[in-house]
Amino acid sequence: MTQRSQHARRRAPRLVLLAAAGLLAVGSATAATITLNETGSSLLYPLFNLWVPAYTRAHPEVQINTASTGSGTGIAQSIEGLVQFGASDAYLSDAQMKKNPEMLNIPVAISSQMINYNLPGLNNVHLKLNGTVVAGMYDGSVRYWDDAALKKLNPGVALPHDLIVTVHRTDGSGDTFMFSQFLSFTDKTWEQKVGYGTSVNWPAVPGAIGANGNPGMVSAVKSTPYSVAYIGVSFQGQTDKDGLGEAMLQNRAGNFVMINETTVPAAAAAMVPKTPRDERISMIYAPGAESYPIINYEYVMVKSRQPNAETASEIKKFLRWAVSTEGGNSLQFLKQVNFLPLPASARALTLQQINQIH
Amino acid sequence: MRPGDALFRVIVTAFAALIPLILLALLAFLVHDSWPALRFNGIEFFTRNAWNLGNQYGNPVTVRGEQVMPGASFAILFLIVGTLASSLIALLLAVPLGVGAAVFLAEAVPPRIRTYASLLVELLASVPSVVFGLWGYVVLIPFLSRHVYPHMARWLGFIPFFGPPSGSGYGLLTAGIVLALMCVPLIAANLREAIENTPQELREAGLAVGATRFEVVRKIVLPRLRLPLIGVSTLALGRALGETMAVLMISGNALNILPQNIYSPISTMASFMVSQLDSALQDPTNMAIYGIAEIGLALLLLSLLVNALARLLVPRSLSA
Repeated sequence: MTQRSQHARRRAPRLVLLAAAGLLAVGSATAATITLNETGSSLLYPLFNLWVPAYTRAHPEVQINTASTGSGTGIAQSIEGLVQFGASDAYLSDAQMKKNPEMLNIPVAISSQMINYNLPGLNNVHLKLNGTVVAGMYDGSVRYWDDAALKKLNPGVALPHDLIVTVHRTDGSGDTFMFSQFLSFTDKTWEQKVGYGTSVNWPAVPGAIGANGNPGMVSAVKSTPYSVAYIGVSFQGQTDKDGLGEAMLQNRAGNFVMINETTVPAAAAAMVPKTPRDERISMIYAPGAESYPIINYEYVMVKSRQPNAETASEIKKFLRWAVSTEGGNSLQFLKQVNFLPLPASARALTLQQINQIH
Repeated sequence: MRPGDALFRVIVTAFAALIPLILLALLAFLVHDSWPALRFNGIEFFTRNAWNLGNQYGNPVTVRGEQVMPGASFAILFLIVGTLASSLIALLLAVPLGVGAAVFLAEAVPPRIRTYASLLVELLASVPSVVFGLWGYVVLIPFLSRHVYPHMARWLGFIPFFGPPSGSGYGLLTAGIVLALMCVPLIAANLREAIENTPQELREAGLAVGATRFEVVRKIVLPRLRLPLIGVSTLALGRALGETMAVLMISGNALNILPQNIYSPISTMASFMVSQLDSALQDPTNMAIYGIAEIGLALLLLSLLVNALARLLVPRSLSA
């Protein structure tokens, strides 16, 4: 507390302060005429939590509630109309679109995913991994950290003879979608046996752990030596703080790359021109010498037809702000969660989709 | 009968009928909601390890007359094993501890402190399960996986299911221990009352024929506890079977795999329903949701079965 406010507090009788606070609360409650609700992806949740206070400060007539529940809940509740924004790391499947043709898949940013591990003594070494080896770890064909396949990718690294503990998400998750898609695109056996989705049929590997949400993944890897996991980039600050290892991944061109300011935009640049009008596209395993292999659009699911014109116009206003470079897509927000802004051509498609809300 | 009495009778009967009606309504609702899954899965639901939502990005196909995603199958043997095994371990640990605590509280603690000590035990019984789960997650798992399980695997490896690998700490035994800690206060609090209800004459008679205090406890008090013990163990088992949050946090959430030893990750029916609900909501054919309703139905029937078995045990122990 500052010197001045302390003085003020001493001088002003408590009752008056209380009354003033009460009036303020009433004032702000009556100012918000419309309430919008967001729920879904735990990866997108930190960004929404940065956006909402900034936006509602400038637009006191709107109140936006956010919740981190998981992409599946985001999708289901936006389809049912319980929430206006359903956050999801994965786009809707063809079957879901056929069932719910009024749903829009609106990208608001570009995200990426790390593969992290906890190898005592080796966490400062960026191990080289490719999709086949990671698929092997998760399907049980690569059991020990000193497996021949791992040694071949990492000559000179003293890999220990310890059992690999794989960690995967138990909840339905866009991160699982991205990860299993990376494995499907790089490993034929994985594609045939497991495939991809927000929740997949994890091969039965003894000792494999299921964790809940990105925070659960981070703490499971941190507390379990010799474990490996896939974690959304908005949790990079946490994984760095906990001293977890981060892998270099082999991209389509055969190079080993990590998430940085070159590799993620390179992958986005390769995939954005291929984005269709409804923007449902996988950006996993993009071509290009520098492309990082696991990136995706972060989606907000919105019903094109809203119950009334006022709600529709407030939703449009918020989304236009969210994707504008002066608003939600500015680096002051995105940098904090390590997301990338939408490239110009993707933004144009997104604005076209936003215009369909009525 | 006066009209007031008649009215009272009707009201009381209605309230009494409400409880079995709720149970019936629950059953009816679960059967209704899981009906497509019951037809699609058949008996294999209980005999195989195959919970698979299928290819969610494919197009729905018709199998056995039901719309499902390609490759979908729903079978939960591993959940039934995980649920029963963790609850059984919990009970094996909790019953001796609970009985010991109850005897200690009722017989060994000075009367002045007894009230407070008992109050503490009863307070423990009302701690929300998620707090136990959090404690297990933050404190117990790192401790057990580093300092206890590796030694157990090394020295007790000759016992089946106790050998290495000692795992990550998330798993069957950890779940059993935390569940046991949740059950101990329940057992102790109930048994303490039962012990205190032992007629004073019986104790005095025992002492009069020259029994020591320990012999009185062993030969007079404990045998009388058999009936309340069965009752309270059933309650505790019910709590363990249905426990959701704590198990979700510490079990390791294994999928489609049976535990290879007592350190292995498992999953239970209740916690699996919570963890899979989100993915199930994305199934455009809704079969995954029906499947989860079927797990709910199976869990309800399992609990009823366990309760019924406990009831069957009671008359036999009375005659013994």
